[in-house]
Amino acid sequence: MTKSMPHLVVLSLLVFFANPGISMAGPPTDQIKTTVDNAVGLLRDSREKSVGANERRAQLREILFTRFDFSEMARRALGAHWRRRTATEQQEFVQLFTELLERQYAGIIESYTDEKIVYVGERTDGAFAEVNSKIFTAKGQELSINYKAQLIGQEWKVYDVIAEEISLVNNFRSQFSRVISSSSYDELVRRLKEKQADVIPVKN
Amino acid sequence: MNHTRTDIIVGIFVLAGAICLGYLAIRLGKVELFGATGYVVYADFASVAGLKVGDPAEIAGVRIGKVESLGLVDDRARVTLRLDPTVNLQDDVIASVRARGLIGDKFVLITPGASDNIIPPGGRIRETESPQDITDLIGKFVGGDLTSKKDEQ
Repeated sequence: MTKSMPHLVVLSLLVFFANPGISMAGPPTDQIKTTVDNAVGLLRDSREKSVGANERRAQLREILFTRFDFSEMARRALGAHWRRRTATEQQEFVQLFTELLERQYAGIIESYTDEKIVYVGERTDGAFAEVNSKIFTAKGQELSINYKAQLIGQEWKVYDVIAEEISLVNNFRSQFSRVISSSSYDELVRRLKEKQADVIPVKN
Repeated sequence: MNHTRTDIIVGIFVLAGAICLGYLAIRLGKVELFGATGYVVYADFASVAGLKVGDPAEIAGVRIGKVESLGLVDDRARVTLRLDPTVNLQDDVIASVRARGLIGDKFVLITPGASDNIIPPGGRIRETESPQDITDLIGKFVGGDLTSKKDEQ
């Protein structure tokens, strides 16, 4: 037992120094991975235990809300127009934006079927970090998902998701600014509310 | 006496011509003689395929600066932008490399942000979006899109 100790030390040192180019996964990756794993675990479990769709959606929401900073996303998505709004309007917008995201992405997230998720890198710059991940499907295709996170207290909060080099925030930012410049902010809110009236599809 | 006078006049004309030619050369060659105006910011991209030095940086289609240099930092492309001194960028602006049309000239599109903090001269644009590779897109299209819903149970 004691004889093998030096070997173990050497081995672990070798492993440690073998890949100096690859950044070690730090807190941002760990925290995002935990959240994603929780969400994936929930979806997998609910498939087996046949949890009600509404209940599952509520649990998923709870998991994602701890990691994803939807008010920051909304602020960034509205871009330059954010500062021209009153505090009440901003609050209302965050609410509308969060619901928009849920309508658009809940279905996609819930359609998860055992895709493999690999974390390939991380880059931190002060209180900001980028975590790169890849999703491999059963068909063997790969999709890159990068998370942009900001350190708030001890927690890394995700404020943008970049799927296949397309930033979620930038996508909405250009759409929103197009609506606002061609008509008005009120028109944007009206459209968001109109969509809100559509029934949120919940799949089993 | 008369002879020298003619010489002087000819000399002046030749000099004026040379200055004009020099001015033209500088203008056409877009050489900046007396130090460029404006300030510099950096942006790191995963890829800037097709972007060249001198390509414009734009906000809402209006030119606000240009690409001053391209370099490589940690396997990522570092674009140095020289921006007009009157332009202020919030620290959450997003810079993306876009093309005019499908295969047109590339440019750096900057979408204004919501932050109160301004990027100082020599600062860095944190949020960037790299251009999509057309071949990749076609590959995905042919091979089927990932985000399309698969057989659900």
